[in-house]
Amino acid sequence: MTAPFDGLSVRTDRTLIRPTYHSGRYVVAEITGPPAPAARRRPPASIAFVLDRSGSMSGEKIRLVKEAVRQGIDRLAPDDRFAVVVYDDAIDVVAGSTLATTDARRRALEALSSIDARNTTNLAEGWLRGAEQVAAHPAVEGVDRVLLLTDGLANVGITDPVELERHARELRARGVSTSTFGVGQDFDERLLVAMADAGGGAFRYIANAGQIPDYIAGEVGEVLEVTARDVSLVITSPDRVAVEPVTPYPVETRSGRTVVRIGDLVADQAVRVVLRLRFPLGETGREVGAGFELVGRDGALGQAARTIAWTYAPNSANEVQPRDVAVDRVVARTYADRVLREVVRWNREGDYERARRELGAVAKRIRGYAGADPELRAIVHELEREAEAWSHERLEDDRKLAYASAHYSMKMRSMEGMAVRRPRS
Amino acid sequence: MPTDLTLAELSALADVPTRTIRYYLAQGLVPGPGREGPGTRYPVSALHRLRLIRQLQREHLPLAEIRKRLGALSDEEIEALAEEASPGPPADTALEYVRRVLAGPSGPLAGPLPEPLAEAAPVTPMVPDMPSGPSLLRRASEPAPSPSPSAVSTPPAPVPPERSQWERIVLEPDVELHVRRPLSRIANKRVERLVAFARELLEEDHP
Repeated sequence: MTAPFDGLSVRTDRTLIRPTYHSGRYVVAEITGPPAPAARRRPPASIAFVLDRSGSMSGEKIRLVKEAVRQGIDRLAPDDRFAVVVYDDAIDVVAGSTLATTDARRRALEALSSIDARNTTNLAEGWLRGAEQVAAHPAVEGVDRVLLLTDGLANVGITDPVELERHARELRARGVSTSTFGVGQDFDERLLVAMADAGGGAFRYIANAGQIPDYIAGEVGEVLEVTARDVSLVITSPDRVAVEPVTPYPVETRSGRTVVRIGDLVADQAVRVVLRLRFPLGETGREVGAGFELVGRDGALGQAARTIAWTYAPNSANEVQPRDVAVDRVVARTYADRVLREVVRWNREGDYERARRELGAVAKRIRGYAGADPELRAIVHELEREAEAWSHERLEDDRKLAYASAHYSMKMRSMEGMAVRRPRS
Repeated sequence: MPTDLTLAELSALADVPTRTIRYYLAQGLVPGPGREGPGTRYPVSALHRLRLIRQLQREHLPLAEIRKRLGALSDEEIEALAEEASPGPPADTALEYVRRVLAGPSGPLAGPLPEPLAEAAPVTPMVPDMPSGPSLLRRASEPAPSPSPSAVSTPPAPVPPERSQWERIVLEPDVELHVRRPLSRIANKRVERLVAFARELLEEDHP
């Protein structure tokens, strides 16, 4: 008899707050994807591969993309569905959504084989056509996902990142998720991350084209291992407590209720969300509580809500209260990763002064509470070194790599962009 | 729930600053009692309106669009839409949504660009996209893309006029900076420094 699934634990850095000052406190929520169901067969999935065939993809790249599709389709069962869409400034639905029978796969690969690299990049329409294919043949219980691959910029069609992000979010809300893959040096990582985050999928950086098949196959594998779709962390708190995620996930707030959108989770996937709470003024002795729970597309996940309570206490008590160092470490790491991700943009813009200043500022803040803790001090030193390293021009592939590393660290993904799993005890 | 509320109560319950509520009153987005003084009380329908306005702003609708929608709704409908409980799943399917976007914005969700609470920016009517047409943020100087051969054919959209936008930078929950974009590079840098300094100044103790 297995224990009921229990995928959420929360802890805070300090439990006392100040009565006459808007105290800020942190909560780290550790989330685990439900385990793979033992006996029941996984529900079929509906996937669309949306592939860039713009001019820059010519040669090896387009060949590797075809190989990637072959490997991806190979992982599917005959009752899964797939579609293949290629795009430059025109959109070709190479294979409309079809069951992944042996025959259908062969025909799709044949049709794909004659595709070559051509023109400019209408990423938006390619992606939307792929979404259309999935949406027209959705997996009812399984995952509906679009895999969008590009090596360049969206330069034709809808190019506004905010608009694309909004469409990704609306599609996710209607059951179609999006994962993105950026190949090489010329793609816009912020666009692809925004679309994947809003879309409930994952962003992957593919440094060289030879890795394309592995990454695509890896993503297909993950799609087939999703055990909880469209997961959100919901925080319920009194109206005047402000809650915001430090880990960069999309968030929706209403009075008293904050919803942090995490996306699809695979079996045993480990995810961590750092939240910052800001408290209103209050009376010494009174308590303020917040409730935390996980909700997915298929209903509530696991146990009842977790709660944490903070107590208003005099300044003197606040000064000497113990800190949960484990929480401090996660918070510091998250702030460090956030700035390490942002620094790429400033470096690219030549704003070395800002890069140095922002890295220095985060280092300084962490030093303020690091004390003698070796991990916290190590983060401070790391940021000080990076402040030097980013204050002169860097190569674009360095930048892409740094961006992806910081991103993966915050999203708990390996250096290959794969989900990290919590070992089952 | 009281049947009428003071401005302060409205502000706390709707989680909207009083300054903003006064702006909405001035703009006629929230009906006011006419003469506003310290003791003025507002009906609970004003609370529902504010909540709905906030929700729609989060979905990046500009004020003109919000005003239009509110104008078409009764108080009961506004109350229903502004419910605390999370709104039900979207009314349309993914397929309907995608097809609507591909065909050009005609539905309630597509079209308008994110527009922050603008104190002074003129609200211009939105220009519809064509299937693979120009993004509304595309600068007027860029060449128009050639229409995709697989797109539904519609008459080409006129290039939208250059317009400035106000960006709203939150420094802390009750303090904001409004910046009219686009700014020169130098002005941008100054604003960034100002924001960094202001945030440091306003930030309370925390790690």
